[in-house]
Amino acid sequence: MTTAVAKPKPKSPAAPAKKKSKLTWPVVLLLIAGALVLFAAVGAITGNHGLTSSGQIGAALSSAVPIAMAGLGGLWAERAGVVNIGLEGMMVAGTFCGAWAGFLVNPWVGLLAGMAGGALGGLLHALITVTFGVDHIVSGVGINLLVPGICAYVNRIYYKDYVADGAGANQSPPADSLPTFTVPGLSGWLGDIEQHHWFLVSDVAGILRGLTTELSVVTLIAGAFLVASYFVLWRTVFGLRLRSCGENPTAAESLGVNVYKYKYLAVISSGAFAGLGGAYLSLVAAHFYRDGQTQGRGFIGLAAMIFGNWMPGGLAAGAGLFGFTDSLQLRDADSVHVLLLVVAIAMALLALWQFYRRKFTAGAISIVVAGGVALWYATTDAVQRPLIVATPYVITLVVLALAAQRLRMPKADGQIYRKGQAK
Amino acid sequence: MRRSLKLAAAVLSGSLGIASLAACGAKSTDNTTSAGAGGGSGLKVGMAYDIGGRGDQSFNDSAARGLDQAKSELGATINEAEAKSGESEGDKEQRLKSLVTGGFNPVIAVGFIYQDAVNKVAKDNPNVKFAIIDSFSPEQPKNVTSLTFSEEQGSYLAGVAAANKSKTKHVGFIGGVQSELIKKFEAGYVAGAKSVDSNIAVEVTYLSTPPDNTGFADPGKGKQAAQGQLDKGADVIYSAAGSSGSGAIEAVATAPGNKWAIGVDSDQANLPALSKYKDHILTSMVKNVNTAVFSYVKSTKDGTDQGGVKNFDLKDGGVSLAVTGGFIDDIKAKLDAATQQITGGATKVPTTPPQG
Repeated sequence: MTTAVAKPKPKSPAAPAKKKSKLTWPVVLLLIAGALVLFAAVGAITGNHGLTSSGQIGAALSSAVPIAMAGLGGLWAERAGVVNIGLEGMMVAGTFCGAWAGFLVNPWVGLLAGMAGGALGGLLHALITVTFGVDHIVSGVGINLLVPGICAYVNRIYYKDYVADGAGANQSPPADSLPTFTVPGLSGWLGDIEQHHWFLVSDVAGILRGLTTELSVVTLIAGAFLVASYFVLWRTVFGLRLRSCGENPTAAESLGVNVYKYKYLAVISSGAFAGLGGAYLSLVAAHFYRDGQTQGRGFIGLAAMIFGNWMPGGLAAGAGLFGFTDSLQLRDADSVHVLLLVVAIAMALLALWQFYRRKFTAGAISIVVAGGVALWYATTDAVQRPLIVATPYVITLVVLALAAQRLRMPKADGQIYRKGQAK
Repeated sequence: MRRSLKLAAAVLSGSLGIASLAACGAKSTDNTTSAGAGGGSGLKVGMAYDIGGRGDQSFNDSAARGLDQAKSELGATINEAEAKSGESEGDKEQRLKSLVTGGFNPVIAVGFIYQDAVNKVAKDNPNVKFAIIDSFSPEQPKNVTSLTFSEEQGSYLAGVAAANKSKTKHVGFIGGVQSELIKKFEAGYVAGAKSVDSNIAVEVTYLSTPPDNTGFADPGKGKQAAQGQLDKGADVIYSAAGSSGSGAIEAVATAPGNKWAIGVDSDQANLPALSKYKDHILTSMVKNVNTAVFSYVKSTKDGTDQGGVKNFDLKDGGVSLAVTGGFIDDIKAKLDAATQQITGGATKVPTTPPQG
């Protein structure tokens, strides 16, 4: 997945006059295929098939879900013109409410409660930013401080009587597990193929198996929300109006759109999605709430959304990229070393592409980076532990830096809108 | 209309500010004072917990038990405060200072993360006695006592147990933070496992590296790391990772086949939050922090406290293996033999891992 971005973005060289190159479906598929071949080749060269093993892909997916949900929350809010830096706080509300209802009733109700908790955070953000016109960042930071404080405080008081059930001063008692889902009839023979380590075939089998085996139901729900968000925001009248509030609210107002209402709806949904991400953490990743459990995933979700150019597909890719590197460094530190080789090859390919496009400076920089990384790979046996732990952040930073030139945010994003302000 | 809105905004943001201040205040100081059964013997003990605090099902809970014992048996008045994820050095100093100004003496800091803060605050308050658990620095003033444990010896036994129980000859270790302290666990465990079978494969994963101490409080990460090791073929996993360890235990317990987890610090099979998985918890490397805390409090009360380092090893019962569930009863002879060798000095357990 690293390579999906580091690799050249094949704009049609024959038509450079076209105003903007777009990532169309064939191009995306081509990139994915290229990345697969690269991973397979590296696996064959090094004999380390960890990068495409089904366990790794499954773990990447489960790391990606909370980030993707936070990112989706950011998407809804920012498409309606409200910057939501309070996602982290709304996620915390989701972890707390999710674990609470999950313990008292059952984990399904916990999921709903998590969403409701997040939505409450969203409502607060909407009230402050939309109705009162306070700066979005100020409100978001306030929520990030307020919600974890409230949750820690309530946890301490409320769970005092539940110590026998496993509660602690900063931990809720455990809730039951949610079921997992395996696509029937696939897992077994895909696993067999994966064991053979055939070039490319086994890698594809490993990835498919990871994507179809032991999925948490919340992963499926999250995937459904991502797809549904695309259709709701880009294929319905409601979505068009909502996005118009993020692009040009005064124009929307002049056409009779109730901008306040749409902003409210968007920010509340935003909180609900972040809350679902939080509930995933406290009901699937772990079975209890504890202080500081989100560990900045709300902010990473925001970064994934920006990386994804404020589009659901892009943010899913960003979350996947982060989830992949994060779970890789946790599961299998040796594979991070192999990842160096992948990066080196990808950068070399990028350099070739840039030379072909006559971007000599950029190409030279890429080739130097590729050489450096390759040298690093060749001269060491393992990556130093502190660097391994930092991999997800480094990769995200690099990818964001590379992708930043192509981004366009909603035009009125973050601006304070007052009804009737148009002249 | 406009004015009323503005007024409402001002009131709301003001109350928000106060609420968040209150919440922060509640979190960072969070002092719960309670007098002991004896109605206050004049002994006032302050305790500053590591991240996780009372209720972490592990290290802090063990310290808390020692404190509770001091409260009931010595009639001490106690006060507790707790660290939070991502706090600054200043927050730690502030926490210790507020315990000192509250008249608490001795003040016990739980965890190596407090070392610098203890050094500083102890220097400014030479008449107050301090104890720090799990850490020692040459610069620490005379009024500081280090309470340390020979974790490597207990971990060695855990390694022996793991190697004897492993069918695949493949075991795993998960450390919360790659600090000097947790490396002692790793070193002992690896040495113990190799003493049974020199060809045994040992997976080692750390969840974070200092100064990022979040690896002790993220069960999701513990779970993923354990799954990674299981996928590679390990079938006994020892996690020294605070509350992240519960994630690792869950991953091991829910994996197909008969896999074992080894707990740490407290007897984790006995903890309510993990009781669901107790049939898969082979044993726990128990660190009797409670004994250390209690004996330290007692020594300050009796005036026998010397400062310096007080180490608790296998011989003193500072570390031991839990026998809950009886899963290690069949290899008891082997464990006893290993214990004998360590306490007799025949085996020197390393305190640093083979490499990096």
